[in-house]
Amino acid sequence: MLKVHVEDHIITRIETDDGEGTQLRACARGRAYRQRVYSPDRLKYPMKRTGERGEGKFKRISWDQAFEEVSSELTRIKETYAPEAILNISYSGNTGTFLHNQLSLFRLLTMFGGFTPIWGSASFWGSLFSSETTFGTVTAGHTGDDIPNAKYIIMWGWNPAETVQKTNTAHYLSLAKEKGIKIVSIDPRFTDSAAAFASQWIPIRPGTDTAMIIAMAYVMINEDLHDKKFLEKYTTGFDKFEAYVLGTDDKQPKTPAWAETITGVKAETIKQIARQYAQNKPSKILTLGAPGRTAFGEQFHRSLSTLSAMTGNIGIYGGEPAAFGLPPVGLQPAAGTGLIARKMTGNLPEGARQRPALHITKLWDAILKGKDGGYPADIKMAYITNGNPVNQFMNSNKAVEALKKLETIIVHEQFMTPTAKYADILLPVNTQFERNDIIRPWQGGPYCIYLNKVIDSLYESKSDLEICTGLAEKLGLSGYNDLTEDEWLRDFWEAAKDMTDSKPLPDYDTFKKEGIFKIKTDKPVIAFEKQIKDPENNPFPTPSGKIEIYSKKLEERNTPNLPPIPMYIETWEGKNDPLLEKYPLQLITTHSKKRIHSNMDNIQWMKDLEPHVVWINSEDAKTRGIENNDKAHVFNDRGKISIKVKVTERIIPGTVSIGQGAWYSPDKEGVDRGGCANVLLKDEHSPAGAFCSNTCLVEINKSKN
Amino acid sequence: MQFGFYFDQSRCTGCYACVIACRDWHNITDTSVEIRKVIPLEQGKYPEIKLSYISLSCCHCEIPACKEACPAGAISKREIDGIMVVDQDECLGKDSCKMFCKEACPYDAPQFAKEDNAKMQICSMCTDRLDDHKKPVCVDSCPMRALDFGTMDELKEKYGNIREVSGFTYSEVTEPSIIFKPRY
Repeated sequence: MLKVHVEDHIITRIETDDGEGTQLRACARGRAYRQRVYSPDRLKYPMKRTGERGEGKFKRISWDQAFEEVSSELTRIKETYAPEAILNISYSGNTGTFLHNQLSLFRLLTMFGGFTPIWGSASFWGSLFSSETTFGTVTAGHTGDDIPNAKYIIMWGWNPAETVQKTNTAHYLSLAKEKGIKIVSIDPRFTDSAAAFASQWIPIRPGTDTAMIIAMAYVMINEDLHDKKFLEKYTTGFDKFEAYVLGTDDKQPKTPAWAETITGVKAETIKQIARQYAQNKPSKILTLGAPGRTAFGEQFHRSLSTLSAMTGNIGIYGGEPAAFGLPPVGLQPAAGTGLIARKMTGNLPEGARQRPALHITKLWDAILKGKDGGYPADIKMAYITNGNPVNQFMNSNKAVEALKKLETIIVHEQFMTPTAKYADILLPVNTQFERNDIIRPWQGGPYCIYLNKVIDSLYESKSDLEICTGLAEKLGLSGYNDLTEDEWLRDFWEAAKDMTDSKPLPDYDTFKKEGIFKIKTDKPVIAFEKQIKDPENNPFPTPSGKIEIYSKKLEERNTPNLPPIPMYIETWEGKNDPLLEKYPLQLITTHSKKRIHSNMDNIQWMKDLEPHVVWINSEDAKTRGIENNDKAHVFNDRGKISIKVKVTERIIPGTVSIGQGAWYSPDKEGVDRGGCANVLLKDEHSPAGAFCSNTCLVEINKSKN
Repeated sequence: MQFGFYFDQSRCTGCYACVIACRDWHNITDTSVEIRKVIPLEQGKYPEIKLSYISLSCCHCEIPACKEACPAGAISKREIDGIMVVDQDECLGKDSCKMFCKEACPYDAPQFAKEDNAKMQICSMCTDRLDDHKKPVCVDSCPMRALDFGTMDELKEKYGNIREVSGFTYSEVTEPSIIFKPRY
């Protein structure tokens, strides 16, 4: 929560929650937001490209000319080709806000006659898919204040000290630790969270977590530690999973010794963790997205939730379904996307898949190959808002190649990002302090905030909605935006009453005046309490009404490498890939505490906190003659980046790590001087659609510059 | 009376919220001026590693070495609460006096901006906030509740009297006004 001080229409300071109870204290990124608003690099007025795409040379134009040129390009592309030739790359820059977000363009282009949408999430698709498959819902988490109720906690590839996830998550972990609860971290890196909370760190090779989980299941079955009554009563298909674990069909029992060769984790350690997790009920496995951002990432989440079912840690205080972490309290996600979205069809993940949509990892390939390459459309124009896809989607060099091929590129932005440099028309967007909105916490929780406008829009910037309203007028689309900002928000708030279990919500005027609505809960809120206490009357929202360890839906879908039970499937670009000879290091791309993805990378307060570096274990550095603070090139067949080296003991040998989000800045030789991790990543997704940003092989060499 | 800080190193995750809150509250745009800083400390060999952070500002020492070192008498200590104060008019500036205060301080607390002959800046314990009955902004910002502020007597009563932690040695000479809870 941010409290913004304003004097004479100028933001002077930012404070955070100083109210009663557990305060919602802001992270460094929020505290630095003033410098973002007043950054000299803000885009100030509409611009038209004068140089080559990517050069960043533009001239100022008027809003009227901008609306005229953008609307005539939209019309020309639609009439010359088809509406589907327009690719709408509007992503998550403002996700969670009700009104000012990526859906403004979604609404405009839908009313205009169609477009090619994108689907997928760079963050948590594996988890989302697994939650929906296994539990029938993504509302499958506990509130953070339940963390100290556990007797044993595993943080699996999970680093909330840096990623925050939910405000106060790290705070509750420290309370759990102080209570004497044992916390274990399973992660290729010794993270800030491992250091602050865990008494045991188990380094694991990236992309192999599922093998360890399945071996833990083996230990539980072998030692009779699993809750057979729970499995019988609440789940489907455990027998099929058990047969796989024991190797009844494939003659390969998934023993700890089997997993040791895959994961690098000692068999004895796997046994110890399996026993401790099963025997210290209630116990929690906490995770979010990272281990699932791999080639078969959904298997990680499916198998993890299976472990929680095997131990009966579902629907009880101190347990956790180890699934998507939305707790059943407060406004649900549908409320967050607002009326603008609900009036449209197909915005939800399953719906998006049914449309001829492009997965976010395949945009560049689709632009380059079109229908001849098996894609649903020949893309001629990209319209990009609320995102920095050149930087944040995989394979940045291919992104550039693709964008250069297009006839037209329109971008809404606040800064001259690596993506903005490719715009033909570049339109300045205002910040969250320059408009009114409502927001719910992105992963749910017992509060929502009225984001009141604190200053007028700076320079000539406008919100996405204002820009699209201007375009709608030029395009002659009536009814695009007949309401004032306040009327929209009042409507949304009214509608939100049907999308919350926290009743009654205060009336709109009270909420607006108070600025925040905190839902008072006398105890933690947990998922599936009713389903466990009274299963007869409260089935799980799955086809079978039970927790689906075996999914009939997946059986019917019959997709290669998307089995109906959770299984370990070896990733590409893993330790048995022949490519390992050429590129012997696994790369993981992490979240930096200095940035929100690529946001804030240009903000001095944040930039100077820590250098942007690649982590390498001292052993791997030594064999390459690399020392701490050296400059190095990290490379593979997809590209080469220049970056400073951090030689550290905090990462498993054989793996290097780069914080994603640094701004792509290729030099004349094609070497990215910005150190953008996505230059190196393969533009591929898992069978269910996970963004495989932790499945990648590279090599690293010391460089002169 | 002497005001002081409490730092619970076992809680600190190195998130830098205190650093940014300090920069914002005091409008410090030159990031080489580190009124409050967070310093990581990595020890050990894979996979047996220790990592801790220390969040530190001026420790408002009982016997401040900076004060003694200042040739212009620009540094003083408030009698009422022991807060260190720098007289910006009296300070000679970094180029004129070779930053004797910075050299004398065992904790590198005195800070100078990049600009020519910049004057010394130091943690004020947010005296403007104290006047408003608020704690220093770093304390109120900490998402981990790892920082606290009060009189040294209050802090000792509440947290004990551990005066050293990895990354920080207690100076018998200056007697820094800070209490710790170590991580290891």
